[in-house]
Amino acid sequence: MGKLRQVAIYGKGGIGKSTTTQNLTAGLAELGKKVMVVGCDPKADSTRLLLGGLAQKTVLDTLRTEGDTVELDQILKEGFKGTKCVESGGPEPGVGCAGRGIITSIGLLERLGAYTDELDYVFYDVLGDVVCGGFAMPIREGKAQEIYIVASGEMMALYAANNISKGIQKYAKKGGVRLGGIICNSRNVDREKDLLRAFASELGTQLIYFVPRDNVVQRAEIHKQTVIAFKPDSGQAQEYRNLAQAIENNTMLTIPTPMKQERLEEILMEYGLMDNLEDDYKI
Amino acid sequence: MSNFNFGMTDVASRETRIGSLTAYKGSLSELASLTDSGEVSNCDRCFSQSGGCPSMCALGQIARIRDVLVVHHGPAGCSIQGVATNTIVKQLAKKRGIKNNTVYIGTDMNEEDTIFGAEGKLKDIVRTAYERYRPKAIFVSSSCASGIIGEDIDSVVEDLREEIDVPIAPVHCEGFKSHIQATGFDLSDHAVLTTIVKPPEGKRNVINFKNFFESARLEIIDIFKNFDVEPLFFYTNATVEELSHMSESLATVSVCGSLGNYIGNALEELYGVPYVRSINMLGIEGFETWLRTIGRTIGREEKIEAYLKAEREKYMPKIEELKKELKGLRAVIGMGPGYTFEVARVLNELGMEVVWGAAWHYDKQFEDRAAKPEPMQNLIDKGIDFEMSVSDQQNYELLNILEATKPDIYISRHNGTTVWAVKQGYAALFAGDEFMIFGYKGTLNFAQAVLDTIKNRSFEKNLAKRTKVPYTDWWYKQNMDKFFVGGNKKEGR
Repeated sequence: MGKLRQVAIYGKGGIGKSTTTQNLTAGLAELGKKVMVVGCDPKADSTRLLLGGLAQKTVLDTLRTEGDTVELDQILKEGFKGTKCVESGGPEPGVGCAGRGIITSIGLLERLGAYTDELDYVFYDVLGDVVCGGFAMPIREGKAQEIYIVASGEMMALYAANNISKGIQKYAKKGGVRLGGIICNSRNVDREKDLLRAFASELGTQLIYFVPRDNVVQRAEIHKQTVIAFKPDSGQAQEYRNLAQAIENNTMLTIPTPMKQERLEEILMEYGLMDNLEDDYKI
Repeated sequence: MSNFNFGMTDVASRETRIGSLTAYKGSLSELASLTDSGEVSNCDRCFSQSGGCPSMCALGQIARIRDVLVVHHGPAGCSIQGVATNTIVKQLAKKRGIKNNTVYIGTDMNEEDTIFGAEGKLKDIVRTAYERYRPKAIFVSSSCASGIIGEDIDSVVEDLREEIDVPIAPVHCEGFKSHIQATGFDLSDHAVLTTIVKPPEGKRNVINFKNFFESARLEIIDIFKNFDVEPLFFYTNATVEELSHMSESLATVSVCGSLGNYIGNALEELYGVPYVRSINMLGIEGFETWLRTIGRTIGREEKIEAYLKAEREKYMPKIEELKKELKGLRAVIGMGPGYTFEVARVLNELGMEVVWGAAWHYDKQFEDRAAKPEPMQNLIDKGIDFEMSVSDQQNYELLNILEATKPDIYISRHNGTTVWAVKQGYAALFAGDEFMIFGYKGTLNFAQAVLDTIKNRSFEKNLAKRTKVPYTDWWYKQNMDKFFVGGNKKEGR
């Protein structure tokens, strides 16, 4: 067993972070890795596919009802092939402070000893953009060392990825956090793979894997399963296994070089996306 | 166009609303001409000691209203000022011989409340406190923590208004909003104006009198009797009922432009109650000008002249006598911007020299967006000039100034700063009560207090000998604006 790798997955809201994280961790679990997934989204739906439903109480809810007597097994459930699943949870939409919730719940997990020696991986699945200090918690010192950003060929996804990289760059200076690469969750836009490669290279990182679009993902989600559990023999399941292998083998960890808005738009222009936008203006 | 927005519950900071300054160094005349030409701009500080919080001024004022409830929605530490407020509320009521049952409580926000929000708890706390204490009005204030997480105190107040039938006001007191604690005065005025003051139903022979401690209350009642008007002192010991009629008064006056600016101008704009814009009632010229301006505003000039004549005869000879001993004494003053100019005028009147005026902040204009402060203009008109700074209560700057100017006396309206002056060996007078130099009698007493302070200096000398202040010799060799950046800072001095 090697050293524990702590990985955080970021990306624009709705890009498929949770789906990608759970399929990827299912792939790692198949490789025999011991994995813990920490959902850092108040909706608490980051472990649904591994657990077969929203089956557990969140850390923050438990903290509320149990006070100081919280035990690890109250908040940590085992899912697909022994993956350990935790949901941070958080306030109802529009009230309180979800960011503060993440800070509190990760602090509690550490105090309760959730980070055991036998683990190979801890994955943090973080909501949306790095909007405040709380959402940056998983990449602060002593937490995730490796970040993957889920993106697609859409402008706003790349814009968010670039923004997230600014957060990583900030913490890379004090801590050891590094960007491991961009995972493309394809939206089937023109020249998507080329665009993502160019974007990743400008950011000083790599396109670590290109996950094609396939409706089996949605069918698996309806069945509350990862694709690997739902249709193990499908091509898409193999894609996720490949992604898992790519991450397992990855040694390219860099400090990102976020670009200015103008440069980002230049890259989009170069790959024809902006032209298409103009053509489609009336639609 | 209105300078106010009463459709909103929040008030922006003085910095953003009227461009008030927190850091400046230069002469009084320079500051005045920069103000006139519109070139005055604030410096930043790249080093700062702690300063005041707007909530101290906002809630400190509101809590002095008789029989109200203040609910400070924040962590326990934020409501620490409730302890001091409670003490002063009780003392000021006792002094006046009445009972003030104001209650100041905090909601004790904890970690969980910060994550999940605590609007429900806040409502319960207000309900419970209302049932228990039956206040005449309720003020619900935010704090830094509740402000950052976006607790919707406006909606909480809206909901509570349906079930509680006394006025309830939200007060938006996030400390990070403003470096100027006087922003809190505006927040308290805004809350009172929007929830307590009612539209006028007639006129009353009353003058709204904004002050802090009511120390000259009886004297002012007597003076005003000569002109057939009554003062309504606020906020200390004022009742909610009295405040609700402020729109019916003949005029509004304030002991200090920085204090009364918001409500004075607002009552004028909203209800046509004239705001008396004058130098204040400190010293001889101040007292006379102030009373005459009131007389003009309410049409009682003759009665006022007769009163002034009688008083002059009584006190002026004694004041003239003391002036001989005060002549040439050099003073440094550290106080709010209004009083910096007002007290400088009095010291000049007494034959003393102001060698430095450190104003806590500077309002280059007031809420009516008109000329610069009257007491400042008064000094300029008379050709009085001195070095001054806008010091944001930065103690290290004050001690540097004292070392550089070596005055005979340091006078401040804020306790604490005089203590440091004494520790450094300077005679210091704490002139905390805003009526300390009120009228002829006050001027006489003040002159005597200055003399008493400087005559026997063994206390300061001995204390300084045995005290080590925390600043290094290096600091005393620097310009006091060493840590100013940008704005009107003159580089290369």
